[in-house]
Amino acid sequence: MKKAIASGNFLRSKLFWAIVAELLILLVGFILRPDFLSIQLRTLSDGTTVLFGTPVDILNRASEITIIAMGMTLVIALGGTDISVGALVAVSGAIALKFLRWDVLVYNTPGDYTVQPFYLVILLPLLACTLMGLFNGALIGKLKIQPIIATLILMVGGRGIAQIVTDGKQFTTQYTPFKFIGNGSILGLPLPIIITLVVVLGVMLFVRRTSFGMFVESVGINPNASRVSGLKSGTIILIAYVLTGFLSGISGLIYASRISSNDSNNAGLGYEMDAILAVVIGGTSMTGGKFSLTGTVVGSLIIRTITTLVLYFGVVSEAIMAFKALIIAVVIVLQSEPVRNAISRRRDRIRTQMGGEARA
Amino acid sequence: MPDIHSRTLGHRERLRALLTNPRYLMVYATIGIFLLIYLFGALLYGSKGFTSVRTFMLFFSDNAYIGISAVGMTLVLITGGIDLSVAAVASLTGMIIAYGTTVLGLHPLVCILIALLAGVGLGALMGACIQYLNVPPFITTLTGMFFARGVTSLISRESISIKHSMIDALAGFKIYLTWPNAQGEWVKIKPVASIDLNTIAFLVVIVIGAIILQRTRFGRNVYAIGGNEQSASLMGLPVARTKVLVYSFNGLCSVLAGIAYVLYVKSGWNLSLQGAELDVISACVIGGVMLSGGVGYMFGTLFGVLLKATIPAIITFNGAMNSWWAKIFTSVLLLLFIMIQRAVIASSQRTRRK
Repeated sequence: MKKAIASGNFLRSKLFWAIVAELLILLVGFILRPDFLSIQLRTLSDGTTVLFGTPVDILNRASEITIIAMGMTLVIALGGTDISVGALVAVSGAIALKFLRWDVLVYNTPGDYTVQPFYLVILLPLLACTLMGLFNGALIGKLKIQPIIATLILMVGGRGIAQIVTDGKQFTTQYTPFKFIGNGSILGLPLPIIITLVVVLGVMLFVRRTSFGMFVESVGINPNASRVSGLKSGTIILIAYVLTGFLSGISGLIYASRISSNDSNNAGLGYEMDAILAVVIGGTSMTGGKFSLTGTVVGSLIIRTITTLVLYFGVVSEAIMAFKALIIAVVIVLQSEPVRNAISRRRDRIRTQMGGEARA
Repeated sequence: MPDIHSRTLGHRERLRALLTNPRYLMVYATIGIFLLIYLFGALLYGSKGFTSVRTFMLFFSDNAYIGISAVGMTLVLITGGIDLSVAAVASLTGMIIAYGTTVLGLHPLVCILIALLAGVGLGALMGACIQYLNVPPFITTLTGMFFARGVTSLISRESISIKHSMIDALAGFKIYLTWPNAQGEWVKIKPVASIDLNTIAFLVVIVIGAIILQRTRFGRNVYAIGGNEQSASLMGLPVARTKVLVYSFNGLCSVLAGIAYVLYVKSGWNLSLQGAELDVISACVIGGVMLSGGVGYMFGTLFGVLLKATIPAIITFNGAMNSWWAKIFTSVLLLLFIMIQRAVIASSQRTRRK
């Protein structure tokens, strides 16, 4: 009896359906192309061995969104949204490339050196993005402004700031340590995957080992009750946005390193949408409250798997959006309250009928 | 009751009541700041022609597609929802018209009919999804946006320029503004200013939107749902029907905006109007529509669009500034307006407590 209730809850859980969806998409890929799931160890010309294969590629390319989505999960659990993350990605890359390349020789050398010390190239973009997160957090947590609208400010202005930082120019760099962030690998594992793992584990530890996660859920479920019972809901909201800003900065560095350049127009374009979708597919409700960081990772992988699958079959990259929309629509409809309740109710009915027969 | 009210209040009192009504404060703020920025531009670039009628008319014709879409968006925002798909649907409309007329050889009206079916259908579908499946508007319309963009890219990835006599005629339609000269003859004013079809469409749609919002039962339902959806449904108002209709109407506005954009650029491209949904939403917010729902006026939205139009105009007149400053100034404006909104809410809460 206890088991039946547990499995009933399991069917109601969004995480379960998200994992099922991911497995189904992978299965479709495997059926259409048997080498879709193969992983090989290859030795590159410079002697390093790297893991190759679509699953590795999916993990690798999902890192930017996964990292941002970690912060986004907390933001959404608090009943908010942050639509400025894409612009922050652009700002991060612009500042990094500005400090790597801003000298007189900018158009005459390949740029296999850095103008400013390398630690500044890494720290300043992160600092700038953290400050922008602080701006968002202060507006939302302290001044109680609606999240969509408060983050709309930096979404509109952020790309402008990125353009002005680099004076509207696009720099490229060949500086090896910087390129290593997005293209390097340690023990065969691409570095973005390792960074993602560190971020995911870090956020999970921060949230579940301290009482922060509980505070977030409490504020997300009822901000007023939490405030009355002594929680500083404003500060908790502020921290979530600052964290999201910081993580967008990391994501921006990975993106800039991958393309060895800054691209204020296209860097992080649509990331806010992907990150929010990853969170929602992962089972965290847009209305706030309980959240699941594991679910978010699965959600991010679903989005990337769809993209990879569709790209694999030679569909033009812009049209991917249509497929994404269709599959996401299916996932969302499956997860929506009325449908989930209907499915589990049907299950329950069948089970009680069967139980009745067995007893008879 | 209204009769007694109007009898006890004289004209002057009524005007004062209208001016001090806190409900209209945000609209006044928008108009005031628009006038301020316009004055600023006039003082700096008045000699270069910033104050000419031509420049003023360009505010309308260059932003007609934003304005038309903002009418539907205002309704959606007042119900407490949001629609991110507007720009994608407008872009899809442009592509359907471009591909239909130049590649398939269809008549533009047939293409417009197809676009209307697609846009209104998608709007209704999204509204139904929001209402019946309880999916948040943000996520639903985001999916709608992805879908519309994707379909546009599936039709064609190249920019298709439109060559059709009817489109050319519609786009070329202009009423030149004239005034009488010393001899009493009507001559074109200098520099030449004109009213084109997009400007007319923009103003007509704004007026229709205002009538729907202020003078119909449907409009009242929209405000009631935005104020408190639960109370509205407990009062027996048709919440479900109204919400689905609002999103369908917004789909219609998006298609109209797409047609206006086609007349403006005479081409269809899958990457056109990228990010324009943010322009539309920020125009509404600057116009005093609250994203929490229940508050907003078409008149405010009209000035929101105009205010947003003056900033790029000033930057163009300046000439030396990077066009990216427009984005930064717009975001500063947004910040200013949400601060004003915040202050208005805070002061109204204070008076209520008294």
